Amino acid sequence: MGVMKIGHVNLRVLDMAAARNHYENIIGLIVTDEDEAGNLYFKGWDEWDKYSVILSPSDHAGMDHVAYKVETDADLDTFTKSIEAYGIAVEQLPAGVLIDCGRAIRFQLPSGHTMCLFAEKTFVGKSTGDKNPAPWPLDVKGVGAHWLDHCLLVCPLDPENQINTIADNVNFLSKCLGFRLTEQALVGPDEDIQAVAFLTVTNTPHDIAFVPGPTAGFHHASFFLPNWGDILRSADIMAMNKVKIDVTPTRHGITRGETIYFFDPSGNRNETFAGLGYLATPDMPVITWTEEEVPRGIFYHSGELNPAFTEVYT
Amino acid sequence: MKIEQTLKNHNITILDTNEIFKCSENDHLLVGMRSLGKKGIPSGCHGGGCGVCKVKIHSDKNNYKTLSMSRAHISKEDEDNGVFLACRVFPLGDIELNVIGKIKRKCINGSKNFVFNY
Repeated sequence: MGVMKIGHVNLRVLDMAAARNHYENIIGLIVTDEDEAGNLYFKGWDEWDKYSVILSPSDHAGMDHVAYKVETDADLDTFTKSIEAYGIAVEQLPAGVLIDCGRAIRFQLPSGHTMCLFAEKTFVGKSTGDKNPAPWPLDVKGVGAHWLDHCLLVCPLDPENQINTIADNVNFLSKCLGFRLTEQALVGPDEDIQAVAFLTVTNTPHDIAFVPGPTAGFHHASFFLPNWGDILRSADIMAMNKVKIDVTPTRHGITRGETIYFFDPSGNRNETFAGLGYLATPDMPVITWTEEEVPRGIFYHSGELNPAFTEVYT
Repeated sequence: MKIEQTLKNHNITILDTNEIFKCSENDHLLVGMRSLGKKGIPSGCHGGGCGVCKVKIHSDKNNYKTLSMSRAHISKEDEDNGVFLACRVFPLGDIELNVIGKIKRKCINGSKNFVFNY
């Protein structure tokens, strides 16, 4: 039992045609459905389930919700009890409220972000199939992202007023949903303010992560690519298409990931991310970054923070 | 008869710093500013979503066109008062503006280094 993996992220966009072009032709996701409300559904070519990204038309950018897939239907009852016992209200969603999903539960993280859990989503498979599959399909568009890897959320932090929703999220996800803390930054004069946190439920370095900000928001959704060469090619494709690149290819100290950051046409930040980094097994110690070394944890080569990277979010 | 139109460059003046840069009708103000290495307006997502590049335009409404931008940052009243996100403004004539948006920074009390903006 337990949370299995990230299921999908629902992003709000200002211009659906521009957003569709970005996610379909540049990131290379596959459009799998469009509903009457104008929402678009996408999957990576290397994902089995029907979608991992929902785009919703809106007058403001940002994230509507993030959803994780649990192993069994009964997990939804178990988690409802544990989340309510923790003191957080849980909403029961009948099958189909999350389109093409079975029943789901919805609740708010201590940071104010909306999270859903579901156990079943329509299976559509991969074009390479599940019998003697080719290593990759020939008809991939753009960057050809394999799958939605993780998301990073901006969470309110105000130590002077004893507010730290990063630490609150870590406590909640660890105690209630079985997430494991892999890496953290401890800052402040006593080095006790947990200002950055990376958590996993699989064996990758992170399935969700939190950074501080003045208000709750969406920092980025990340899509997996196999290697560093793919990250360079990804940057080339962004430049050819005049996509606004936020951070050119580099390496993170935290997670060791190889990365490029860029924005979708509504200003929601995306990442393509390569390198497994390391195997995040439950027996590993928590890796801690000190305040002085946080910039290197984020951008390993420059060791310098880019104000736009830490401040700009939707 | 087909009329060939050349793209015009227009003068954009940041009144706060007296910085002037040229911007093509095809480019939004931040592309014009950044491609010439100029500074003055905070540069963020370039998609009308994050809100850091908020400006007040003093020039006539016929001197620019805009694309949709986030209502979380620009209200209808803002638009009526010439307040927009610079990354969604394309010049049709010369523009004079003031910078409203900024990247907010605050240190944790007593911390050794500045680390986070919040």
